[in-house]
Amino acid sequence: MATRNRTLLFRKYRNSLRSVRAPMTEAKSGVGPVIEMASASLLHPKRSYAPVSTEDPGSSSRGGAITVGLPPDWVDVSEEISGNIQRARTKMAELGKAHAKALMPTFGDGKEDQHQIESLTQEITFLLRKSEKQLQKLSAAGPSEDSNVRKNVQRSLATDLQFLSMELRKKQSTYLKRLRLQKEDGGDLEMNLNGSSSRAEDDDFDDILFSEHQMSKIKKSEAISVEREKEIQQVVESVNELAQIMKDLSALVIDQGTIVDRIDYNIQNVASTVEDGLKQLQKAERTQRSGGMVMCASVLVILCFIMIVLLILKEIFL
Amino acid sequence: MALVTSVRDYINRMLQDISGMKVLILDSETVSNVSIVYSQSELLQKEVFLVEMIDSISASNESMSHLKAVYFVRPTSENVQKLRHQLANPRFGEYHLFFSNLLKDTQIHILADSDEQEVVQQVQEFYADFVAGDPYHFTLNMAANHLYMLPAVVDPSGLQRYSDRVVDGIAAVFLALKRRPVIRYQRTSDTAKRIAQETAKLMYQQESGLFDFRRTESSPLLLVIDRRDDPVTPLLNQWTYQAMVHELIGLQDNKVDLRAIGSLPKDQQVVSLLQYREVVLSSEQDAFFKSNMYENFGDIGMNIKRMVDDFQQVAKSNQNIQTVGTNIASLKLYSCKDVQLLVLVTVIICECFGFTEDMARFVDNYPEYKKMQGNVSKHVTLVTEMSKLVEARKLMLVSQTEQDLACNGGQGAAYEAVTDLLNNESVSDIDRLRLVMLYALRYEKENPVQLMQLFNKLASRSPKYKQGLVQFLLKQAGVEKRTGDLFGNRDLLNIARNMARGLKGVENVYTQHQPLLFQTMESITRGRLRDVDYPFVGDHFQQGRPQEVVIFMVGGTTYEESRCVALQNSTNSGIRFILGGTAVLNSKRFLMDLEEAQRISRSGSHMV
Repeated sequence: MATRNRTLLFRKYRNSLRSVRAPMTEAKSGVGPVIEMASASLLHPKRSYAPVSTEDPGSSSRGGAITVGLPPDWVDVSEEISGNIQRARTKMAELGKAHAKALMPTFGDGKEDQHQIESLTQEITFLLRKSEKQLQKLSAAGPSEDSNVRKNVQRSLATDLQFLSMELRKKQSTYLKRLRLQKEDGGDLEMNLNGSSSRAEDDDFDDILFSEHQMSKIKKSEAISVEREKEIQQVVESVNELAQIMKDLSALVIDQGTIVDRIDYNIQNVASTVEDGLKQLQKAERTQRSGGMVMCASVLVILCFIMIVLLILKEIFL
Repeated sequence: MALVTSVRDYINRMLQDISGMKVLILDSETVSNVSIVYSQSELLQKEVFLVEMIDSISASNESMSHLKAVYFVRPTSENVQKLRHQLANPRFGEYHLFFSNLLKDTQIHILADSDEQEVVQQVQEFYADFVAGDPYHFTLNMAANHLYMLPAVVDPSGLQRYSDRVVDGIAAVFLALKRRPVIRYQRTSDTAKRIAQETAKLMYQQESGLFDFRRTESSPLLLVIDRRDDPVTPLLNQWTYQAMVHELIGLQDNKVDLRAIGSLPKDQQVVSLLQYREVVLSSEQDAFFKSNMYENFGDIGMNIKRMVDDFQQVAKSNQNIQTVGTNIASLKLYSCKDVQLLVLVTVIICECFGFTEDMARFVDNYPEYKKMQGNVSKHVTLVTEMSKLVEARKLMLVSQTEQDLACNGGQGAAYEAVTDLLNNESVSDIDRLRLVMLYALRYEKENPVQLMQLFNKLASRSPKYKQGLVQFLLKQAGVEKRTGDLFGNRDLLNIARNMARGLKGVENVYTQHQPLLFQTMESITRGRLRDVDYPFVGDHFQQGRPQEVVIFMVGGTTYEESRCVALQNSTNSGIRFILGGTAVLNSKRFLMDLEEAQRISRSGSHMV
């Protein structure tokens, strides 16, 4: 696709016009250039963007010293959140590797792998939880432009968080699935071995060994099911946690493809929703004041007082 | 390359090189250009955290210097003035200016003059000056569309502005495609001729350097035609999804405003899930719409039913999982040994039935589920509302007669049918008007007595009918004014073709009409577009067949024609067609333009 860059022509005009303006200011006062130089040196990136020398029209001779000013405080919060998200991402990569390692057949116990996986999962969930809580802090009151920016920053971070939570869930579920398959194979193998040996020994040792084998089988299957239950409990817990996070986030995240995802809809609706919100609040206040709840509560309180008075009277007169 | 992709590429390029938090500033026209191809969530990914209009941005004095401003506006004099004021008191840290069309040197001068703080980092021209609704269909969304019907003397400055906007739009399309075309126009239309000549002047003389692209084997073709050559298509009622929605409810920038049809039913459970009163119908974002937008109403109904069934399956299984999940969760509150065993048993049983995995899958798939739910409710609502309108206005009956008028012969029978419908109480005024217009266009010269009778009957039945509107239409688009063979009764080949079609019978009475555009496209494909009817501009010449053709219809296109183009493109004939117009018409809009033109020409003739 074709484009045309007019920046050079623009700069040429701007410079020539500047030189037309500048000689006029130099004629004003000889001190002028000195003030300009001083003001130029005072400027540094952290200073908020307001023209330092307000009475000096030649400030354009600052040249390229354009400052992008100091952003407001909430930007720090948003940067913290995006930092957390980044850290969670790297930990997820580590988790992936740990999963792969744990799934490889080893002779050892595998306990430290499990431990690592557990701790990594917990850290990631903690990071996600923390980011989600901080995300709520970004909400702002009032219909200013700044609040729109904050809302949009919130949305974009919420989308990233939701994506990460879903990724974590997927990783966990695939890991558990593969683990279960492995255990089943191992368990079946054991069961088969036991079964074949029990068949071999059945003929020789009838009742006692048979019941012993039965007992050991029952114990083994109980142990397996207890382990399974623990794993499932873990799944349920993490599902619950992440479901909670997702529920909170889904209020913020934009549904793609719907009307809310249209730029023109958002521009039009900024003003009107704020007005609507105000009206709703006023209406709610009114209904709350005249509401039945308040009435009920006051009636009950009055009744209580009456009862207490009656009680005291009863005590006095009896 | 499709038009939607070009506009998206332009926007991507605008945003990708600028780091940090940005604010995007648009004007009332570019907001349509951008919104139709780019979504809010994609903007957020590119760190654009605020979108504003150029009018409202100067209202506040809040300094937001941590944001970088990206302007994407049309290079009109009003926008340049507004920019002047905003550059003189800059609110943002940096300013990056992108214009959707060619800038004049004077405008650059004005901007440079006002940029005293030197906040402008770049000034570029990115030619996304059209609204690309579908890959091969664009529009310019012009407001005063009726001007093309009036002679130049009535409103010369208005017509000049109209023509300039069209030329800008066409130039932008070709710059986005990086092509310079050979230009042909419809001889009988003055407006088309004027636009074609001005476009040629721009591309070959004024900005010949900019348009000097690599020559391909055969030059592409730009064909500028006039709406009045085919006044039948916008008047017909439509039965394919996209066209029908636009005809009955109204589709603007791929959005449907459901508030237009009055109150929505609150009793249906699926419908009440529709939170907002506007919905989006975009082939790029909605897979169901993409596969159904050109299907007729009956097939859509079946496909929607299938979609609802699938969705209800998913919803049912989710319902089960939710109850099981809450049961398990509630059991875990107790921690005595018996309950633990009970939980163990329940959990094992559940696992046997695969419920816990379903539970996990439910949480994973929740966003998809929500999206599916929204989509289903949107389509169900639309189809329900349209069915209701069809029922209320007796459109099946009306449309059958319309299609007969447009496609088949028999003046006597047609007269009877139209008179019956005029007498029918449940037929609405606009439908009566359309029927009489179609009859008049078809049987203009046959039996003037009966035609007069129809006019009188229409005037007596419809109190709001503007007198002489049908006659005005005949004056604009009557048989003498038309070039193409609209009813297939001019040359022998077409008559023979029609007879063959009549003998064979049609699949669907309601969609038998083919717009005139179809014949035009066929002629181009065969290389037999007559020079007499569609002359070349200047000394252009086309060798062989073009491989890319842009057809621009002055006065507006319809979704029926865009469907025709899309179907033609899918046949892989070796030629790619793109259709564009000054607006996208439905019958209401076409009639509005007619009325407006009639009103102006009447007042003009009084003055003269």
